[in-house]
Amino acid sequence: MYFALTDDQREFDNAVRSYLAERFDGEAVRGVVENADDTGNPAALWKAAAEQGWLAVTVPEEHDGLGLGVVEAQVISRALGAGTAPSAWRGTVLAAEAVRLAGSPEQQAAWLPRLASGDAVGAFTLRGSAPGTLPAVEYGAVADVVVAPSGDGLTLVTGASATPRGSYDGTVRLADLDAGEGEALPGATADVVADLTDRATVLVAADLVGIAREALTRTVDYDRDRKQFGVAVGSFQAIKHALADLHVNVTMAEHAVLYAAHAVDTRPDGSDLAIAVAKAKASDVAIDATAAMIQYHGGIGYTWEHEAHFFYKRAKRLAAQFGDADAQRERIAALTIG
Amino acid sequence: MDLTYTAAEEDFRSELRAWLQANIPQEWSRPGFWESLDDEESFQLRRDWERGKAEAGFAGIQWPTEFGGRGGTPGMKAIYDEELVLARAPRTVNPLGLTFLAPTVMAIGTDVQKKEIIGPLLHNEVIWCQGFSEPGAGSDLAALSTRGIRDGDDFVVNGQKVWTTNAVHGDKIFTMVRTEAGSEKHRGISMLLIDMHQDGVDARPLKQMSGASEFGEVFLTDARVPADECLGEIGDGWRTAMLLLSFERGASGISQYTEFRRQYDEIVEVARKLGRDQDPVVRGRLAKVLTDLECLRLHAMHVLTQVELGRDLGFEASMTKLIWSEAFQDLWEVFDIVLGEDATLDEVAGVDLRPLHAQAMWSRSVTIWGGSSQVQRNITAERVLGLPR
Repeated sequence: MYFALTDDQREFDNAVRSYLAERFDGEAVRGVVENADDTGNPAALWKAAAEQGWLAVTVPEEHDGLGLGVVEAQVISRALGAGTAPSAWRGTVLAAEAVRLAGSPEQQAAWLPRLASGDAVGAFTLRGSAPGTLPAVEYGAVADVVVAPSGDGLTLVTGASATPRGSYDGTVRLADLDAGEGEALPGATADVVADLTDRATVLVAADLVGIAREALTRTVDYDRDRKQFGVAVGSFQAIKHALADLHVNVTMAEHAVLYAAHAVDTRPDGSDLAIAVAKAKASDVAIDATAAMIQYHGGIGYTWEHEAHFFYKRAKRLAAQFGDADAQRERIAALTIG
Repeated sequence: MDLTYTAAEEDFRSELRAWLQANIPQEWSRPGFWESLDDEESFQLRRDWERGKAEAGFAGIQWPTEFGGRGGTPGMKAIYDEELVLARAPRTVNPLGLTFLAPTVMAIGTDVQKKEIIGPLLHNEVIWCQGFSEPGAGSDLAALSTRGIRDGDDFVVNGQKVWTTNAVHGDKIFTMVRTEAGSEKHRGISMLLIDMHQDGVDARPLKQMSGASEFGEVFLTDARVPADECLGEIGDGWRTAMLLLSFERGASGISQYTEFRRQYDEIVEVARKLGRDQDPVVRGRLAKVLTDLECLRLHAMHVLTQVELGRDLGFEASMTKLIWSEAFQDLWEVFDIVLGEDATLDEVAGVDLRPLHAQAMWSRSVTIWGGSSQVQRNITAERVLGLPR
C-alpha cells in the first residue's frame, strides 16, 4: 500500500511552489488582478511553465513532453491554486490532452510539441458549440488553439474572434469566442469526451484544494499572532474548532483529489465515483476555507488590500466549473442509488 | 502510488476468508438473530467463537510470534479487520485488552506480566475492562479521584469508574488510581491491574439511551490489588495511559468504511422501499454523506501507508477519530430524512427498523467516547495546526 506522492512528485511540487514564492508572489498576482486590460497570462510565469515542464507534463515524450500522468498534473494545478497564479496552464494542458487522446497523428505532430513548449497557448471548453459562440472561455483571447464541442465530438478552433468578459475573479481572463467550424478531432468519441471531462474536473478540483489549503494555512498563521482582548485570537475555541474542522475537510479533499487523479490515470472500478467525490469535496471546502479566511482575518480580510479576496473569488469561479458540488452529488447519487 | 496488498497479504486474506466462511454459522447473519439472545448468551457465544478463531491462528495478527501472535504486517491487520466485517463476524468481546492493554504490556510490562496477561487475553480466558472515566473525570481524565492506599504488599482501592465496556463480563480491569495522597492532575497516578472477582468490586450494567448496555459502572470499595500488579512504575500511570492510548492509531479505518458503506446501502434500500430514493433532497444528503465515507476510506489508506513507512502519526489520530465518528453520525442523521414523518416507527413498509434505529442511537455515543469531538478539535487545533492554548 502506498497512497502518497513519490519523492519525484514531491520534488515537482516543491519546484512549482518555490518558483511562485520567489518569482511570482502575491504582489505579482495583484499586478495582474489590477490590470484587467492585459492578457492575464504573464510572460515570465508562462516562460517558467514552459522551461520547467509544467506545460509538457502529460504530453508524450515522442512529442517533446514528459509523458507523465494526471497525478503529476494535479501536483502542478494544486500549487498554482495555492499561489492564485494567473496562467493559461490548465487550458493548455487540457488542449494537449484532447489532441493526445482524440487527435490524428498529423494534429498531434502539429500541436503537441508547440503546446508542450509554450510556443502555443491552448484553451479547453465544454460550453457552446462550434461553429458558433463559445461563452466565457478561460484565456480564450490569447489561445492559439481552442478545443471546443462540436456536435457530439470536439473540434480544434483557431482564429476565433474574442470578446473579453469581465469577471470578479481577476486571476483569470475570460472571453466569448465567435468560433468557426474548426478542425474535428477524429477520436473524440463519447467515451473520450467523458475522459477529458474527468481530466478537466480533476485539475480544477486540484486547483481548488490548493486554494483551500493555502487559505487555511494563512488564516492559522494570522490567528496565531493577531491579538484581541490581550491574547491571540487563535486561542479562542470558537475559532480553533472552526479551523480544526476545516483542516479535517481540506485534508479529506486532498486525499480525494489525489485518488481521483490516480483513478483517471489507471481507471480502477469506481473511478467515476472517485472523480465526483473529489470535485464535490474540493468545491465545498474551497468555498468554506476562503470564506473562513475572510471571517477569521476580521476587518482586514474584507479589504481590497488584503489578498483573501483573490482566494475567495477564484474558489467561487472554479467551484462551479465542470459541475458544482450539487451536480457532483447528483452524479454520486446516480452511481450509488440509481 | 500502489494501492494493492502484497501477495503474502492476499494469501492471508484467502486463508482467513475460507476459515470465516467455514466457521460462521449461517443463522448468525439472519436479521434479528443476535437481538434474540440475552446479553449473557450473546456474550458467551461470541467469547467461545473468538477463542476458536484465536486457536485457528487468526488473532494477534500483528503481535510478535513470541507472544503467540502471527507476526503479520499492518496490511494484514487491515485485511483482517475488513474481512471480519465482510463476513459479518461478531465483534470482539475483548476490545480494550486486545487493542490497548496487550501492546502496552509487550512494551513496558514485566516478564511475569507478559507471561500472565498476553496468552490468556489472546484466548479470551480473561476479559479485560478499562477503568479510566469517572463521574467527575470524563474528558478531564486527570481529575480522577479513585484512590489507592498502600496496605502492606497491597493497595486498597476506593472509587467509582464509569463507561466501562463489558463491565459485567469483566475478569480484570486496568484502572487509573491516585496512589499518592494529595497528588494533583496527572501526577501520583498508577495503572493498577485489579481482579474484578472480589467482594470489593461491584460491576453494574448501565442502561443506555438505546436500551442496550454495552457500558457499565464499576464500584470499588476496599478492593485489594497487589502493589506489583501495576503496569509501568507506581506513580507513573499517566505516562502508561498515554502509551496505552497511542495504540489506537492503527489502520482500522478501511474496515470502518466497509461497515459504514454497508449501512449506507441499507439506508438506500429503505429509501427505495419507501419510494424516497428519487427525492432530490434525500439524494443530495445521501451523496454528501457518501462523499465523506469515501474520504474516510482514502484517509485509512493514507494512515496505512504512513504506518507501513514506520512513521508516527502522532496527533493526527485525533483527526482520524473526528473523521470516522462524525461521518458515522452524519450517516444516521440522513436516515431520519429518508424516513420522514415515520422516523421513529419500529416498522415501516414491512421493514423492521429497530436494528437500524439501534445504530442511529449508537451513533450519538461515538462522538463522546474515546475523546469527544470537542476534545479532538482542541487537540487538532493546538497540536496539529499549532494554535495557542
